[in-house]
Amino acid sequence: MTSPFTSVLDLLTRQRGVRASLIVSERDGVIVDSSLRVGVDGDRIAALAASLYRKARLSAQAAQLGAVSFLQLDAERGRICAVGGGGDLVIVVVTDPQANVGLIRMELLKAFESVA
Amino acid sequence: MKIAAVEAWIAAPLQRYVDEARARLALLLHPSGQAIAQAGFTRRMDVMTACALAAASHATSSELGKYVDGKPFRGLHYAGPEKQLYLATIETRAGTYICLTVFDDESSLGLVRMYFDDLVRELTTAAPVAPETPAPALTADFEAELNKNLAMLFGRGEVIITNA
Repeated sequence: MTSPFTSVLDLLTRQRGVRASLIVSERDGVIVDSSLRVGVDGDRIAALAASLYRKARLSAQAAQLGAVSFLQLDAERGRICAVGGGGDLVIVVVTDPQANVGLIRMELLKAFESVA
Repeated sequence: MKIAAVEAWIAAPLQRYVDEARARLALLLHPSGQAIAQAGFTRRMDVMTACALAAASHATSSELGKYVDGKPFRGLHYAGPEKQLYLATIETRAGTYICLTVFDDESSLGLVRMYFDDLVRELTTAAPVAPETPAPALTADFEAELNKNLAMLFGRGEVIITNA
C-alpha cells in the first residue's frame, strides 16, 4: 500500500546507513507511515522518538529558545534524528553510527518541507 | 503511584507499567467486571463503576469486532480533549483479564501500547497455572441414570422425567 509519504520515506531510506525512516504523530506516538529494514521495531521507535521530540520541543519552549528544527540523539550503536514543525507530524530517521549526519540532516529538512 | 492488587503476582508488573507508561489510572479486571488490581483510584465506588463500565465496553467492542472482523478487537482507544483511555485484554494461564489505562498529555497512545505489550509479556510469564476446573456436579447421563434408578425403586417400567 502506498501513501502520500511513501516517496519521501523511500528517499530517506535510500541514504547510506539509514535503517529506518518513519513519519509519526507527535501527540499519539504512533506511525503514520514508515520504511523499515527487516528486524526494526517501528512501533517502539515511533513511541519513544515522538516522546523524545515532544520533550525537546517543550524544553526549548520553556527555555525561550523557540522551535526545535532538528533533533539528534547519538547512541553507542546508532543515531536517531528527528525533524518536526508546528503541526503534529515528525519525521524520524534511525541510522548506523557511521552514517553521514550532515547529508541526512539536509535530506530530512528537505523531506519535512515536502510533507509540511 | 501505589498499586492495590488482589493477587500478588500482578502488583510488580502493573507497577512498572503504570510508572513507565506514565498512566494516571490503571485497572485490571476480570471480563465479568470483578476488580483484580488498581492504581490511581481514591474511592472504592469509582473502582466499581470503572469496572462495570470497562467490562461492558469490552463486551460491546468484542462483539462488534466479531461482527466486523470475525474476531474480537484487541484494543480500544478513546481520545478525549484532555484524557485518553486504552482498553485491552491480556490472556494468561490464569485466565483472561481486561486492562483499562487512563493517560493524559504526559504520555501517548504509542507509549501506552508499547509498555502494555511489555506488561502482557510479564504477566504471561508470572501468571500461575489456572486451577483445574472441577468435574461437573451432574454428569451428562444424569437424567437417564435417574430414570433407571427410579424405575428400579418403584419396581416397574421406566419412569420418564423430562424438563417441562
